[in-house]
Amino acid sequence: MSVVTLLYYALVAFISALLVVNLLKSRKWERDVLYVLVLLPFLLRLLRLK
Amino acid sequence: MNMFASAGIVLATMVAVYVLIRVIRLSTELAMFGAAVGGALVAGFGFPSRHIAEGAATYLDINLIFVTATLFMNLLKESGGVAFVVRSILRRFHHNRALLLVLLTVLLLVPGALTGAGSVTVLVTGALVAVVLNAMGIPKHRAAALIFINAGLSAAAPPVSLWAMMTAAGVNMPYVGFFWPLMLPCLAGGLFTSFYLGWKGENANVMKALEELPVPPAGMSWWRVLLPFVVFGGFVFMGRQWPFSTPIVGLPLMFAAAAVISFLVSPVRLQVFRIARETVDQLLPLLATLTCAGILVEVMTLTGARGLLSLAVVTLPIWVVYASLFLVLPASEAVLMWGAAPVIGVPLVLLFNNRGLDPIIALAGMSIIWPLGDALPPTAIIGRLTVDVVGHKGTYGQFLRACLVPALFIIVVGTLMVVYSKKLGFLTGL
Amino acid sequence: MSGRLLAQKFVVISLGIALLATSGASFYKSRRLKEPVVLGPGVTTVRPLSTWFAPLRGTANDCNVYFLDGRTPGATMLVLGGSHPEEPAGRLVTWILAENAIVQKGRLIVVLSTNRSATTVTRLGGAYPPDFSIPTDFGSRTFRMGDRFTNPLDQWPDPEVYFHYPSGQQLAYVDIRNVNRVWPGRANGTLTEQTAYALMEMIKREKVDIELDLHEAELQYPVISTIVTHQRGQDMATLVSMTLTDSEFKIGTEFSPRTLHGLSHREIGDFSPAVSLLAETPEPFLDATRGITSREQLLTGRDEFVVKAGQHGLLFEKIDEKGWPIAVRVGRHTSTLLQIAETWGEDHPDKLLVISGVPRYKEVIANGVGHYLHDPAKAAGRVVYE
Ligand SMILES: [Zn+2]
Repeated sequence: MSVVTLLYYALVAFISALLVVNLLKSRKWERDVLYVLVLLPFLLRLLRLK
Repeated sequence: MNMFASAGIVLATMVAVYVLIRVIRLSTELAMFGAAVGGALVAGFGFPSRHIAEGAATYLDINLIFVTATLFMNLLKESGGVAFVVRSILRRFHHNRALLLVLLTVLLLVPGALTGAGSVTVLVTGALVAVVLNAMGIPKHRAAALIFINAGLSAAAPPVSLWAMMTAAGVNMPYVGFFWPLMLPCLAGGLFTSFYLGWKGENANVMKALEELPVPPAGMSWWRVLLPFVVFGGFVFMGRQWPFSTPIVGLPLMFAAAAVISFLVSPVRLQVFRIARETVDQLLPLLATLTCAGILVEVMTLTGARGLLSLAVVTLPIWVVYASLFLVLPASEAVLMWGAAPVIGVPLVLLFNNRGLDPIIALAGMSIIWPLGDALPPTAIIGRLTVDVVGHKGTYGQFLRACLVPALFIIVVGTLMVVYSKKLGFLTGL
Repeated sequence: MSGRLLAQKFVVISLGIALLATSGASFYKSRRLKEPVVLGPGVTTVRPLSTWFAPLRGTANDCNVYFLDGRTPGATMLVLGGSHPEEPAGRLVTWILAENAIVQKGRLIVVLSTNRSATTVTRLGGAYPPDFSIPTDFGSRTFRMGDRFTNPLDQWPDPEVYFHYPSGQQLAYVDIRNVNRVWPGRANGTLTEQTAYALMEMIKREKVDIELDLHEAELQYPVISTIVTHQRGQDMATLVSMTLTDSEFKIGTEFSPRTLHGLSHREIGDFSPAVSLLAETPEPFLDATRGITSREQLLTGRDEFVVKAGQHGLLFEKIDEKGWPIAVRVGRHTSTLLQIAETWGEDHPDKLLVISGVPRYKEVIANGVGHYLHDPAKAAGRVVYE
């Protein structure tokens, strides 16, 4: 895997972490649902599934 | 049951679920997601988790651009760079109203052009520009309209124009040749709007404005503001100039690099994690819109609802389409936000293509009309955001009325671009 | 955080994990679904593509290359299936070749997964099924659905703009993952470009005379039911089209535009001695106006919506309630391929290509595609996987 590709995985990991922290801190169920949906493709990529 | 009836029932279910969710005052994003799940259930696909995940992943790369570009813009704002630029412009050009309006227009166009989101313009430069507009004696409802319309145009402006990108992707058309067809009407529309709404007013009260504007930290300078843009531009330039000897970097990493540079050259120590978290928090509705639009489109495709809608659009008489663009595009934006591009934009471009129009010019024309829908209920996220940021205390109707003439100008330009797209085809080759 | 809030969060996150797990499992499974190939009597060797370009070894695109050497020498023909795996008729034809063809004179080289990475993913937003099955005489055989583009898990990110090598022509940025937009490839390029480069090396070193790239197209696309040919194949392709139109089915000829780069019919002919051709059959499954996206539609090509679009004059190929069944599409390709070999022979009596064991149009329709796929359980030692 090239350096650039690795940086992309790092970027996805970083944004996923931000999303998870915000998800844990959010106080509205509606935002919780949206955070989970937005996270889904980030995690699928991070786990190399999609 | 034939296909028309079953797809019709699916489509009707989707609309019903969408309306229901909006009626109980939940967000557009959730309404799109709910409509997708409802449609899949009625069509007999159960809860199709593979398709939901695949749809959600449709705009992953665009979401990456969104986050990195907005983070870049927010770091620039937090470092005092934006305030520095606004103050410099004001100090230097306050006696020249025309030049001031031109520069403020450019300032409003940049963040949205880079990120693809009008709300980023409103948040990054909108508030500061509002202070200057106020000092120029422009009433708040007109200032809000000026910022809103320019923010919408900034979103449609190149290089990142999500409506054009998403529609082009949906018809297997390259996102190539859009730069000038998008840039020229956005500039023309932006300048018209700024002059129409901002020309009348007293001479700028520089002292008052400078007092109100945030003070940039000592040591902020032009090179600190511009260096990250130079780095970003450098990546773009290298990729275009030496495509076979530079590694592929991609837009998200270019914006990330620009963000890193603006962090490094900031005269004040920036709390990256706090700013990054706030950026993601601020972007959630937009990220969720793209994600849920992807899900909705995938389920519509799965169930045949997309085919039915496409068929309905492509079999309309062309003059009916021309005459209703002004209504259909903003309305679809108000309902689906960016989801309007794959759902309505794709069949329209197929129709235009089929009728021998230039699809690039036509799509560019449509792209400048779409964002006007961001002021319309039920969603009106960006319209309301602008009114808040500017601090307009009157009614929302006042703001909408101020938007009317510039909006008409943009609608006319956009529609003419569609109708005469063939003749304007040369713009794609500039 | 209150108990209620905590419970709420727990429920939402659990549902999210369930969605991640179920969808992830489906993606994982379909990416690794094994497609058996029962080596037919004509297959003499199977070699990995990395034989001709070592850097491909260990990548998703180190596909198998099947050699069917004739009893006596003659012309060499390369057949590419799976350039666009979402166009399954082409891949199925290469399967029929690998499992049935016998070469009397000359040599056949067959690639079943030209862009193997693209066979492991389905189109975002396309709602494609993960796989599809062809009924056979012994049961059924299952194939990965695939996409037009290389899997982003194998090639990421996409560039801001894509310039074709070596012409420098600007193409859509996503097309850097489309193997039929990157010919003749680039040794130090992306995985997709390296794949085309490796095939190009093979074409040159194995002295390929004729190359045929098998595709399908949506009915809304003007290049359909036709043979697209490099200028060096114009006479042959025209004759093939005329012969087929007279005897079996209507098919046209189009000349590869000289200024449109990255396509196999342009670049393989320009960068090697081979005559490059590309064949298209209709696939209503790809049409934007299609109804339900299902395995059934993929294989029957029946779709009321597409028929309706045709009634409005929006299509470039006819369609009625009978649709475009997979057997018809596969049969068009097998006949086209056999006719090319015959027509070539009429022009090159000293360098013949004689193939047997491959069904023509009417036979594929009469017996079904599955009739020509064999039972891997009964072919111990003669099975490889794509
Ligand atoms: Zn194809």
